[in-house]
Amino acid sequence: MAVSAKTPAPPVPKRQRSRREQRNDGGTAVSTYGLLAPMLILLGVLFLAPLYYIFLFSVGLKRFSPTDALASLNGELNSFSTGLWSKLVSVDVTVMLPGLNFNVPVLLIGIFFLVLLVAAVTANRIPEYGNWLVGIAFVLLLAPFLTIPAGNNLLRLLELSSDGDYMRLFFKSVTMAMTSSVTAVLIAIPVAYFLAFCVGKSKYTWLLIVIAPFLTSYLLRVFAWKVILGDQGLINSGLTSIGLIDEPLTFLIYSQFTVIVVLTYAWVPFICLPIFLAFETIDRRLLEAAMDLGATRLQAFRKISLPIIAPGIVAAFLFVFIPSIGEYITPTLVGGTQGTMYGQSLASQFVGGAFNWQFGSVMSLFLLGVVLLLTFATARFLRAGGGGL
Amino acid sequence: MARDSSTFVVISPWGKRLLTAFFVVFLLVLYLPTVLLVIFSFNDGTVAAFPLEGLTTKYYGLAFNSEEIRKALGASIWVGLGAAAIATLIALMASYPLARRNVRGKALISALMLVPLVVPTVVLGVSLLLLFQKGPGQVGLGLTRIMVAHVVIAIPFAVLILLPRIASIDRRLEEAAYDLGATGLQTFRLVMLPLIVPSIISAFLISFVFSIDEVVIASFLSSDQVTYPVYLYSGLKFPEKTQTLIPVATIMIVISFVLAFGAEAIRRYGDRRLVGK
Repeated sequence: MAVSAKTPAPPVPKRQRSRREQRNDGGTAVSTYGLLAPMLILLGVLFLAPLYYIFLFSVGLKRFSPTDALASLNGELNSFSTGLWSKLVSVDVTVMLPGLNFNVPVLLIGIFFLVLLVAAVTANRIPEYGNWLVGIAFVLLLAPFLTIPAGNNLLRLLELSSDGDYMRLFFKSVTMAMTSSVTAVLIAIPVAYFLAFCVGKSKYTWLLIVIAPFLTSYLLRVFAWKVILGDQGLINSGLTSIGLIDEPLTFLIYSQFTVIVVLTYAWVPFICLPIFLAFETIDRRLLEAAMDLGATRLQAFRKISLPIIAPGIVAAFLFVFIPSIGEYITPTLVGGTQGTMYGQSLASQFVGGAFNWQFGSVMSLFLLGVVLLLTFATARFLRAGGGGL
Repeated sequence: MARDSSTFVVISPWGKRLLTAFFVVFLLVLYLPTVLLVIFSFNDGTVAAFPLEGLTTKYYGLAFNSEEIRKALGASIWVGLGAAAIATLIALMASYPLARRNVRGKALISALMLVPLVVPTVVLGVSLLLLFQKGPGQVGLGLTRIMVAHVVIAIPFAVLILLPRIASIDRRLEEAAYDLGATGLQTFRLVMLPLIVPSIISAFLISFVFSIDEVVIASFLSSDQVTYPVYLYSGLKFPEKTQTLIPVATIMIVISFVLAFGAEAIRRYGDRRLVGK
């Protein structure tokens, strides 16, 4: 880098330029990797090494107890074993379709969802009917999980055997995360549409006003919902005072409903951003041309806007779904016993009642695997919708 | 008139009215919890519930006289400033080659850098707990460990702010500096730095705001001295403790808003300056 530019002017200008580009583009290998080194070392020590440790724990190569004797007393693994993994995933699922009941191992269900995921991500490359395939795959993927918060319809469709408590909890968390992310996207789309097309020059200021709550304390926003939905909260005391109800509505607080509402609320401001950015990339002249050619606004939206914003919408969905599925702060504060999630059970293996570091490691890696799989399968959507993310 | 007609293309007048109404309701619901917290910080009751029991500022006094809260706040600010400074410095160093040079394995490095963003924080928290407790040296837990853990997640945010800015600077400015005899360091200090200072401040503030609000990793890695969010989290689980927590919380929310808008204002100022040049 410290090469001086005071070299005598070379006779051929073209050559001079190529040398200059080399200096600026290539730098020296030492300086390039020297600048990258701190980040790579940090990520290696504080990101890859912990994951390696959690792997060691999950297969019994490391244990919590200081001695072998104590470990066997505490029921910990002492040597390599995949036993804890099979404890987590070897669960039978009873699929209950109308007039049809059968048992399937949960692994097969997992593979089925994986195939659907791959289909959903890749099918639009197939000419002609590919887009329909994408749509059908997505509907099949989402359908079992989409619930109106009161019930748990996945479990009505698929009943897990009784020793599958962790898996049951996992699917319940997926259902809750799925419901809140779809709701959040459905709320964010009109908001982003409004910001992108209806507010003129001040749209960036309004966008900031929408996003700002996301940057304030997450804990407090969760807590404030307790004040709104609690037994003596805004809604219950309001409804009681105008005489609509005598008893407070109990489903409002400490239930799945509460967790879903709060998760949706917490993430909506954030995902307005990718959807807004997607709307921004639409060239309005395309829409004008479509309408000049006789299309209605709905047709113009469906044929022009929707394909352009689709990656942004998928990205937005994932931005809510991924953090929600491992959530444990929100269910602890507002979920009560009904709204428990996988993340809480996971955390309790390390700092709470259950206290089994090895099994907790298995649960962590399982969650991580699902999330990373989802991320890699949809990476191109994230790249398109997340501005380089 | 021109703007009206272009709006007309995407939405009918009635649709626009409907959407405006939706947006207004959305904003009201969005800010309702924050407003409620501010109101309840002046509530003269012992639990945060309706009806309000008169206004008072006594809980503000109580909160600031509490040794625990002051210590937790101090710990949080220290962790936040440290994490933000380290993350910004490392991200700045990494952004330059990623934006300007042909780095072998750039895709892999970028992926590795961004992956901590999609890893559930609970997984990151427990894996660091295992490493610190059972890893080589058994370094144990504490505030510095929380700080470095926050750096891991703050780096991608900082790089996502810094990298596009560095990439958007005209290469010819640097080339001109080299041609006039500047060394690499001089070029950076005199040409690049003035142009990216707003982004550096913005990256620092975003990292700080993230760290000062982070509770999951901090709760796994804290030992005797907790950070403010961890203190808040343990307090919020008990209704009788919450009333003294709300005033500080209110002030923190106001500070977060100021920092967020400040970061954005500085970033825009930088944009304008860059366009001006």
